[in-house]
Amino acid sequence: MKELDLATADVWEDAPGGEGGPLLGRDPFADVVEADPFVARLEQLALAPPARAPRPARLHAVAPARTSLPAPVPAREVRRVPTPLRRRRAATPSLAEIDLPEVQGLVDRLLGEEDRRRIAAIAHLVDGDTPFDRFGLSPEVFRQAFPIFHALYRWYFRVASSGHEHLPAEGPALLVANHGGLLPFDGAMAIVDVLLHSDPPRLARTIVDRWAGGLPWVNVFYARVGQVIGTRENFSDLLDDGQLVLVFPEGMDGVRKPITQRYRVQGFHLGFVEQALRARAPIVPVAILGSDDQAPILADVKPLAKLLGLPFLPVTPTFPWLGPLGLLPYPVRYRIVYGEPLCYHERFGPEGAEDARLVRYLANQVRRAVQVLIDRNRS
Amino acid sequence: MRNVLVTHADEPIGRRVVKTLFHDPDVGRLLAIGEGPPPRAFDRFLAGAEPRLAYVRADLARHRPVSVLFHSPGFREAEIDTVVHVPRHGAAADAHAPIVAGVAERTAEARLLLQHCLEANEVRSLVALGSAFVYRLPPGNANRLDEQSELDLDPDVLPETRSWIDCDMIFHGELHNDRMRVVLLRVPTVVAEGGFVYLNPLLAGPPGVRLRRLGFDPICALVSDKDVARAVQAALHSPHPGIYNVAGCEAVPLSLLGRWTGRPSLPVPRALLAAADRAAQLFGHDGARANASHLRFGFTLDTRRAERELGFRATNRIGLARAGDGSLRLETASL
Repeated sequence: MKELDLATADVWEDAPGGEGGPLLGRDPFADVVEADPFVARLEQLALAPPARAPRPARLHAVAPARTSLPAPVPAREVRRVPTPLRRRRAATPSLAEIDLPEVQGLVDRLLGEEDRRRIAAIAHLVDGDTPFDRFGLSPEVFRQAFPIFHALYRWYFRVASSGHEHLPAEGPALLVANHGGLLPFDGAMAIVDVLLHSDPPRLARTIVDRWAGGLPWVNVFYARVGQVIGTRENFSDLLDDGQLVLVFPEGMDGVRKPITQRYRVQGFHLGFVEQALRARAPIVPVAILGSDDQAPILADVKPLAKLLGLPFLPVTPTFPWLGPLGLLPYPVRYRIVYGEPLCYHERFGPEGAEDARLVRYLANQVRRAVQVLIDRNRS
Repeated sequence: MRNVLVTHADEPIGRRVVKTLFHDPDVGRLLAIGEGPPPRAFDRFLAGAEPRLAYVRADLARHRPVSVLFHSPGFREAEIDTVVHVPRHGAAADAHAPIVAGVAERTAEARLLLQHCLEANEVRSLVALGSAFVYRLPPGNANRLDEQSELDLDPDVLPETRSWIDCDMIFHGELHNDRMRVVLLRVPTVVAEGGFVYLNPLLAGPPGVRLRRLGFDPICALVSDKDVARAVQAALHSPHPGIYNVAGCEAVPLSLLGRWTGRPSLPVPRALLAAADRAAQLFGHDGARANASHLRFGFTLDTRRAERELGFRATNRIGLARAGDGSLRLETASL
């Protein structure tokens, strides 16, 4: 039985479909909680249908399309170029409004016209005249990296996805997904899938662990392709900017779970609910199937991991026996399913973020929604 | 109508502040202090029988000149009620020698100026320019920092950054002063016309190659010098004391920023950087500090507080431009 960590306040209840599930254990205060009229009221509210559909945020300004490094202009002309007013919120134009960028080298030849339009939309997220956004996203680096991940998406993981109608077309939103696999290919596949199936094309900004921010090269690559370190300030800034944020609230627990717990959603961290309430953002539960099979973990050598300063040290059928090559994912088939948006912000408003019990309860509801999506689609 | 004293008015940011305040109808007399001769840009401001601007040469790092300045008839006649402190900062891109004489002077100036402002009863406001490099940086290529973020008190911090932290804490101590309103503006890398870059500790000093950690290329937030002057102007007229982040919406990685400002950075492994650091210290220079977080992690600033309370929002854009010699460089442009 896993020890319940009340400080991090992960999960109260067992996963659905299992009486006294093996991974989460029972909450010692479960009976007290069930008897609480406050929680009963929340249950009623959570089960009731939403009062109205989420209203998309209004856009204030759309920057002109830019697909690569801006062409250098003579210094004397800089003052004469009319500069658009600073935007209020990040937004991308619809697919039909994006001009088809010119083919630039081999990278663009590998992509179709529609894909090139979708990648061109990323440049609209950069607010400023330098080719980087404030978190280091570079549309040019994204354009160059995209064909690799697109190839993995189509031919290696053979991703199938459904429920795209639940992806918000604009405004702030959270995609909350289960996490698995040694290397975060689940996040990469979700980013590619969202970009390929949304109109206007949207880039899911993934919230990554702080640990990754200290890794040489990795920290730079993550930032250039739009991923952001998981601090409160970064999170709230992305949502205030109207961006689509992909989070894995299981954190490292999801990545290092052993093969016996595959597709069992681990305890959720709670910060994402607070941020969603404060930013009035809907939460879209996402089930990613396949990630738990790409590198099944047989054991976690914790003492050695601690000695090496790593969050965990897995043993898989191929790692460490094949060296670093053993970390590569198996060519499993991925399936990504988007659930109906959970619009808690409409019922509880930003002040709900101040209520720790409410936040914990809502996080559990989201976790349950993700687990239900997984269970329905695994079969 | 405010009568304002501006320090280091002969340095680039100080000049920009004086120009902005000179054209402000709500500013009366201006007393500009500098170490060198008056800049040529001030010639037309100083012309006429009774110019609004007066220029005084003084070394603010020494007690006696500062004391003489604050007790001089000129200071009393100008009826100075507001002091704008623009600390010593980095060199221009093509300067033959760094403008910064030493980091210890910057701290001494801040202490002396604050002490004399507190003693002068007529001074009601002090607006000081600080650096945003004082924050402790969490791991990551770019993280959002607000005014409540922790300061970097790590002993491994660069000496240049250390002096900014010292100045910051000196002014921080008087934020709740009842008699004098203290405003501290924290600004990131400042870009001026012509591609000059100031206040970035990693790019301070004469042009040349810098070392940075291999595998890291932190994002540097930028702000135009005109926006810095506008922020000072906004702080001058605002009734609010406190600390405010001031930044534009542009950001570039350190490698590009260095390349565009004549200070290219060379990525080297940590061990080599540590060895170079030790060697530099042996010869009496400040090393690159292999573990300094600013060599690895970047930041962007949350400027919402300045927008809300000072009514300040950056309106100048920073982009790439091609110089006469064909090289790319940063340039600012007004909206």
